[in-house]
Amino acid sequence: MPMKVDIISEWTGEIGEVTIGATKKEGGSRCAAIVIGGGSGFPFLGGSAPGRKPLIAFEFCDDPKLWSPIVTELEGDVVNDAGDWAARVEELHRPDLLRFYLTSTRRRGFQDFSQLRRTVEEVLERSTLPLIVEGSIDPAIDSETFLCCGEAGEGERLLLGTAEEGRYRSVAAAAMAYGHSVIAQSPIDVNLAKQLNILLRETGVPHDRIVIDPYTGALGYGFEYSYSAMERIRFAALKGDEDLAMPMISSAIDSLNIKEVREADPGQRGEMAVKWELYTAVSSVIAGASVVCVRHPETIVPLRSAIDSLWGKTGGGD
Amino acid sequence: MPAVTFLPGFRKISVEPGSTILDAAQKAQIHMNVVCGGEGKCGKCIVFLKSGRVDFDRKKFGRFFSPGEIDEGACLACQTVPLDDVQVFVPENSLIQEQKILIDARGIETEFNPAVWKYALELAPPSLEDPSPDLTRLLWGIEKSGGPRENKIYVPLEVIRRIPAVLRESGWKITGTVTLVPGGYRLIDVEKGDTSGNLYGAAVDLGTTTIVVYIRSLIDGEVVGVASNYNKQISCGEDILSRVNYARKGGLSHLQSLAAESINDALTSAANNAGIDLDDIYEVVVAGNTIMTHILMGINPAYMIEEPYVPVVKRYLTSSASRAGIAVKEDAGLFIFPAVSDYIGGDIIADVLASGMTESEEVSLLIDIGTNFEVVLGNSDWMFSCSGAAGPALEGGEVLFGMRANPGAIEEVSLDMETLVPEYRTINQIKPKGICGSGLIDLLAELLRACIIDRTGRINTSISHERVRTGRYYPEFVVAWKHDTGIEKDIVVTENDIKNLIMSKASILAACITLMNQAGIRREDISNIYFSGAFGNYINKENAIIIGLIPEVPPEKIKNIGNGAIEGANIALLNRKKRKVLDEIARTMAYIELNAEPSFMDEYTRSTFLPHTDLAQFPMVEELLESCRIRRD
Repeated sequence: MPMKVDIISEWTGEIGEVTIGATKKEGGSRCAAIVIGGGSGFPFLGGSAPGRKPLIAFEFCDDPKLWSPIVTELEGDVVNDAGDWAARVEELHRPDLLRFYLTSTRRRGFQDFSQLRRTVEEVLERSTLPLIVEGSIDPAIDSETFLCCGEAGEGERLLLGTAEEGRYRSVAAAAMAYGHSVIAQSPIDVNLAKQLNILLRETGVPHDRIVIDPYTGALGYGFEYSYSAMERIRFAALKGDEDLAMPMISSAIDSLNIKEVREADPGQRGEMAVKWELYTAVSSVIAGASVVCVRHPETIVPLRSAIDSLWGKTGGGD
Repeated sequence: MPAVTFLPGFRKISVEPGSTILDAAQKAQIHMNVVCGGEGKCGKCIVFLKSGRVDFDRKKFGRFFSPGEIDEGACLACQTVPLDDVQVFVPENSLIQEQKILIDARGIETEFNPAVWKYALELAPPSLEDPSPDLTRLLWGIEKSGGPRENKIYVPLEVIRRIPAVLRESGWKITGTVTLVPGGYRLIDVEKGDTSGNLYGAAVDLGTTTIVVYIRSLIDGEVVGVASNYNKQISCGEDILSRVNYARKGGLSHLQSLAAESINDALTSAANNAGIDLDDIYEVVVAGNTIMTHILMGINPAYMIEEPYVPVVKRYLTSSASRAGIAVKEDAGLFIFPAVSDYIGGDIIADVLASGMTESEEVSLLIDIGTNFEVVLGNSDWMFSCSGAAGPALEGGEVLFGMRANPGAIEEVSLDMETLVPEYRTINQIKPKGICGSGLIDLLAELLRACIIDRTGRINTSISHERVRTGRYYPEFVVAWKHDTGIEKDIVVTENDIKNLIMSKASILAACITLMNQAGIRREDISNIYFSGAFGNYINKENAIIIGLIPEVPPEKIKNIGNGAIEGANIALLNRKKRKVLDEIARTMAYIELNAEPSFMDEYTRSTFLPHTDLAQFPMVEELLESCRIRRD
């Protein structure tokens, strides 16, 4: 006989909401302003409000040399122009959001900030979905890079990435100056996630403009740590810890570089990559991610159908 | 064999080929600063090569030197092998220096129940009518003077051999000395005439770094002499693990004799000051950490640092001082404090005894910060303890301008919140040479207050101020300008230093919280926080709370018990009944192995924030820092 278990929670906290993107009416140029987060429970754990259905972001970049050949070979020449790529992603792959990496800044001695600004502007022109922009990863150029991105996207309510413990001031400053939100990434640890959020709060970034990236290892490559960290972050938030009550973003990008994909039979490499990315992303959704990011275009359709079928009509509630 | 000449003293010593300059220094009795035990990790044993050829990897160790120092031939003594005869200059900073050692035990209140007595006797000479043997005659005399029963006193053969001559040469006027031993009494000496006024005992704190001795009259308990000294074992490695490693490599007997020598030197200077003879010291009580007491007793400490970390003995030990090489009265008693575990040794039990925390139902937290840290939580009914490595940062290691509490160390700092100009005080009020632990804690708290660092200790380099700058490797804050210092360099604290300090403080706070969680104690339940050890005496209590070195409690609950080890040793010397209490403390205290405690790492990460990730645990600090932020904005 099946046993019915009543889950009685004493949770009092709620996950905060973050808005990404601004429509024309709101002073931007996006087709929608997306709200992520919310909810006062866990997804797929009956009896509580799990929040909104998770969204899918597609990741692309402005310097394809630093991207997985599995993706660039599939996408073709379009990867050499960020605007063209953005347009193609929207039209063909149809994710919920775009996540644009300024990989051009990762070259040694990068200084071409005017080109950077034009690139961001072009991506904004050629796309309509709410946009996440990933800037530099070098403290020496962070300040100018994020200023550039922030300014070019003023009014668009971008989500800017990525703030880390050692370098969060530049991205926070750009977000505050131009009305954007910030991705706060910490290395798979609930306490470090909280510490970074406190630092951002003290720099002046309000809670409703922070999205937590707990860092996602690929499935089989430490994902269980990510899962546990995400779960603990969510638990802490539901128990009332406001410094952890933000929606989470998860990117399974390591999936394309793992041994199983690298060493797969060339004919099956793409399929293997999609599978790995898909399973990692679905696991992240179950752990509580509000936005999951993928790089392989063919991951999007099965991922969406997985989320839809898991979520059901009640938003995963019952 | 290559010969090494040490400048400025021109001491010359020959060494085996392949030996390092540090080996030579040890042979020449030049005590160099080797925090890491000679592994090339601390960069404190800098010497300058003046002539000759050496084998030294300047590329590998270059980070320890300034460009000017490299030009002058800087090497690390522990990593430099002379290839032929060499001359090296040893700068003052590379030598162990006179340190601020805590010697004042608070006025001790304990019953006076010593374990040694002298009996001045005038015995009737034997006759045909009274032919009882010399020894019986003597022991009866003791019994008649109020001493122990004749048949309870054991007499060693060496004493018996002396008896006939002493009795007869003194005209049957003698003084016998009896000491309490397990299971009875022991006659340890017979002297001519009345020497009953010359009865002294010594309390010894045998620390990893320093040794403190007290000489007390065992007739009235008064202190007659005090002295302190470095533990000479430092030349074999500064921290405790390097000592154990030294012992493992066949150095146990060398370490043992260095420990005895260090105690003897301190005893000699205390006795000279008091104008007494070392031969009038009849009992020695030693409190030390488990490894130090093992070494002093010549017991191999090696197994304590390997899994499963067991000491050879935990119970208290009694022996004769001479067997440990302590140069007091031949056959004088030696009492060694018991231990709880490898890391909770007699020094901590002495701290607990001295704090009085076992005598009250109030819950107290006792923290001993030294080369390692130990934490004890409990009251008269229960007690938890743990220990860990705090890293050397709080003692000045792994900090660019860190130093021990030697003359010239900045021991107190405050910042002007407007101008960011530091005001500091150095030990002996001379020009600063570096910063010691208490100064570093002040600095951390002040930099946080001034919003120069964030809660992870990162320096906000966007602050435009001449003292906030980026150094060769890390951002840094200038504490003292070159022209104000005694070392002709700017004294700075770098972001890396701050990171090391935060790791140190985090392990201490995490240990406190782990014990509190184990016992189900909240910070509000804590009635006293006792600091023991040299460190606790000099730190600013509020700043220790601001940086989250200890849980937040009202500052008036924080007390320094000073050198608890020497105090506990003094109590045990004066009041033998407390020796039973020691044994009880050792038996009831539970030891929590932090490495085996899964929540500890989590708590550690939470504690690597200033003051702590859970800000609700530090409400007063939060209020203070909030007002600092508002003022800055």
